[in-house]
Amino acid sequence: MKCFSTIAAGAVLAAGSAAAETAITQWDQFAQSGITAAGPAMDELIASCKPALEGVSVLRTVAPSIGIRDSYRLAVSAGKTPDLAYTWPAASVLAGYARVGALAELDKYYDQYGWSQVNEFYKGRNSYEGHIYAVPMEQDLMGVYFNRDLFNDKGIAVPTTYAEFQAVAEAFKADGIVPVSFGNRDRWPATNTFSLILGLTVGLQAEQDVFFGDTPWTNAGFKQAAENFQAWANDEYFPRGFNGVGYDEANALFLSGRAAMTITGTWVLQDMIRGADKFDMGIFMMPPMADGVDAGTMWGEGSQWQLSSATSAEGQDAAAAYLNCLLSDESRKVWVQKGHTVTIGTTPAELADWGADPAVQEFFSGGLATAETNFYDLHTTLPESVTQVLYPELQRLVGGDASADEFLETMQAAWEVAIANGERWTP
Amino acid sequence: MPTRSAYLFLLPALVLYVAFVAIPIMQIIGFSLFDWDNGIRGDFVGMDNFARLGGDRVFWSALAHNAIWVVLTLAFPLMAGLLLAAILAERGNNTRRWLAAIYFIPRTIPLVVAGIIWGWIYNPLFGLLNYILEGIGLGFLAGAWLAEPGSALLSLNIVGAWTFFGFCVVIFLAAIQSIDPSLYEAAEIDGAEWWRKFRDITVPLLKNSTLFLGLYAAIEAMRFFDLIWVTTQGGPGYATEVLTTHIYKTFFLVGDFGYAAVLSVVLLIIVLSLSSISFWLLKSK
Amino acid sequence: MNNLPRHSQTVVLIAFAIYALAPVYLIFLASMRSEADLFSGPLSVPWPINVDNYRRVWQESGFSVFFLNSLKISTSVTVLVVLCAPLAGFAFAKMQFKGREPLFALFLAGLVVPAPSIIVALYGNLQVLGMIDSHIGVILPQAALLMPFSVFLMRTVMQDVPDELIEASLMDGATFFETFIRVVVPVVRPGLMSLILIVFLFSWQEYLLPLVVLQTESLKPITVGAASLQGRYGVDYGGIAAAGLIAFAPLVVLFLIMQRSFVRGISAGAVK
Repeated sequence: MKCFSTIAAGAVLAAGSAAAETAITQWDQFAQSGITAAGPAMDELIASCKPALEGVSVLRTVAPSIGIRDSYRLAVSAGKTPDLAYTWPAASVLAGYARVGALAELDKYYDQYGWSQVNEFYKGRNSYEGHIYAVPMEQDLMGVYFNRDLFNDKGIAVPTTYAEFQAVAEAFKADGIVPVSFGNRDRWPATNTFSLILGLTVGLQAEQDVFFGDTPWTNAGFKQAAENFQAWANDEYFPRGFNGVGYDEANALFLSGRAAMTITGTWVLQDMIRGADKFDMGIFMMPPMADGVDAGTMWGEGSQWQLSSATSAEGQDAAAAYLNCLLSDESRKVWVQKGHTVTIGTTPAELADWGADPAVQEFFSGGLATAETNFYDLHTTLPESVTQVLYPELQRLVGGDASADEFLETMQAAWEVAIANGERWTP
Repeated sequence: MPTRSAYLFLLPALVLYVAFVAIPIMQIIGFSLFDWDNGIRGDFVGMDNFARLGGDRVFWSALAHNAIWVVLTLAFPLMAGLLLAAILAERGNNTRRWLAAIYFIPRTIPLVVAGIIWGWIYNPLFGLLNYILEGIGLGFLAGAWLAEPGSALLSLNIVGAWTFFGFCVVIFLAAIQSIDPSLYEAAEIDGAEWWRKFRDITVPLLKNSTLFLGLYAAIEAMRFFDLIWVTTQGGPGYATEVLTTHIYKTFFLVGDFGYAAVLSVVLLIIVLSLSSISFWLLKSK
Repeated sequence: MNNLPRHSQTVVLIAFAIYALAPVYLIFLASMRSEADLFSGPLSVPWPINVDNYRRVWQESGFSVFFLNSLKISTSVTVLVVLCAPLAGFAFAKMQFKGREPLFALFLAGLVVPAPSIIVALYGNLQVLGMIDSHIGVILPQAALLMPFSVFLMRTVMQDVPDELIEASLMDGATFFETFIRVVVPVVRPGLMSLILIVFLFSWQEYLLPLVVLQTESLKPITVGAASLQGRYGVDYGGIAAAGLIAFAPLVVLFLIMQRSFVRGISAGAVK
């Protein structure tokens, strides 16, 4: 009946278009504003890297950074994985896609093109059972964006210890300025903040003991970190009703000069630089929050380029050549200059040479100085099922509805279930 | 006379319905009895998946929230709709038509858009509600509305009520207009004023419509998804989690097919029970 | 003394009218703001009035595409339902056949089935049929989910058609189908109109199905597009408001023009 004729017509159309010129579908997050807003850089590089494709055309979809993670999952389960996608997270989620055979192995392209900037740490996060399935591109760091004008007006210096940080927050609070802008309505921002607090409270080794070893979540160090996070909320460092404020709204609050600091990452550098036109914006690294813990910051590779296993060999070759162009030295310069995005392999010296925005330089020279002790981003490291528990539980922890103990017990329970199901990723 | 062509009349509707509703229901029941790994079906496990319900704290919270939603909807928009309809019934034709239309407008707005608008009204930083409260000196009442577990569900329910009360007005109005006017005239001769007429005549005779709307509200309270998803996504914590959001997250975000099917079966049992009750009750009138 | 209740009644009427319309007014105001106005008080009338948001959202954000998608999907669903439901409603109302009661009960059961409860299996089926990421994958399930209500409404409407009319036509030698087309349909035209409007409204408002089934941006309808705008444009509230208004303005206009039809359709089931 009517249904079947439509399907038949659709099949004929699809067959017809396949016979035409090869095209690959590309999903990326490089919008013109918001998170990962390196749109201008991507636009330019698509043009300049076109020759590498040798006639293969690119059908591009720009997907929102947060949503692309879910869209990609839906696409994989529908058998409609895009040929090339710049998506996140790596680690266990990437491993899951590799396990069901949705991704193309990239070993031969690594051999062909080198891509030596992708070191063992990065390679590990993008591998599954000895094969590598993605090419990470960005370096993502977390730090504290601050309003230098507000600091100078009050004669407040950039804090170098945690005690100083607390004093700074109290000073701003007394003056009616929101110390730290924070909006957790979207549920994931708290994960980043907690990742930072966790690392600075327990250190990299303690994290590795839990995430890749046998130590449970319910240990003293983790409890201290959870309590630190809760204390920030109780001490009113955050805006009122932060669990109902959106991430972009919180950033807008900071950019409007109503908040002194905001603690987030390099993935919004583009937006921050563009928006901070009325005041002098600076970046400092959050100091360690417990004794004996080394300075460091949360460090991840942001997103990674993945290829679909269903793409034709010709398409895969073209995509790999295209990627190689996107990662070249010339391209790295474009990423920095046009997109305020620092790709893996870029050094602070290069940033200075290329005239990168001072904020970019400040961020990366601070964050890369502690490369040995930088620690994990929770929701790109944990299995999906655990992340989905972490999101609401963090809202409860920070909202004061769960104690640190309750929080950790719930996380440990979810963690054990995930391990039993074989979902854990280890480097 | 029985005629076979009747089946042909039924065929198009039946085929669509069976293919895209009835069959999936059967499938879901089937899915819930198996073990799944990442979308691949494993062994038959019978009722084992259902055993997870007992320990699933989120499930029980969700169920409680659905129940609270029903009660709130019966208490506020339903009662308001009745009152408004009774008032409007005595006004002029134009007043009645246009006010009823105004009350109904929120029902035409997609819940997704309603969520966006009300999200702004409730926004702790620059929302209208806090702005007004502070403006009229009630600033101490200003709160985080959607961000506080204590007020999130209620705040969302006010949005739901906003879309529902106009619907109640329309239904009640239609029912009131089928009440014999001589009943009211007789009461007026006896000296009864508005409130007495409302209480003694209108309310009892609208039992049918009230029952219908009550059950409709109950069933809708189990079904809705859009509003919560676009505002709080079940948060803060689990404060606004309902069955439908729990199903969505379990299926699409975690990828746990088996348990998502279990939750779906529970939801289906509840709504089908509610509708069976309603038909049995309405039929016996 | 008797006037007091009447004045407070009027207050109640007006209070609820404000409750109903204030948010609509707000979004209208917001749609004319620019980004800089974000913190300058939600009630302040923006000056200068900025209608650029509409143009921007329509052209640059692709809302014209979303709008057309909604139009296409909702129209298709409505056409499909109108082709199927009246026939079934007529059969249930006026024809005798074995299994009439059980089959009707089967349809009624579906009245309450929400999309989230069957999405788990529906998604897999659509995948197998190759309908994921296509409009047909949204149109067919939507029409199916709206079928119980539509069949119920049509049966109610058809029951009011006088039996004599039908018998006369059959006596003249017409088949049931010819009777249906030539005699019944003209009589139930108002009911059909109600059906068309209600189905179109419900279909336009649908969010979950297109959210899950459609991945390609250019296929998405306006509900999904409006929601995703929040993710893409962060604090561009002027744009989001303009988008929201574009999303529902047609429905409000449609409703206001065809009020009587809508109301009749909604009350039909409830009041019987």
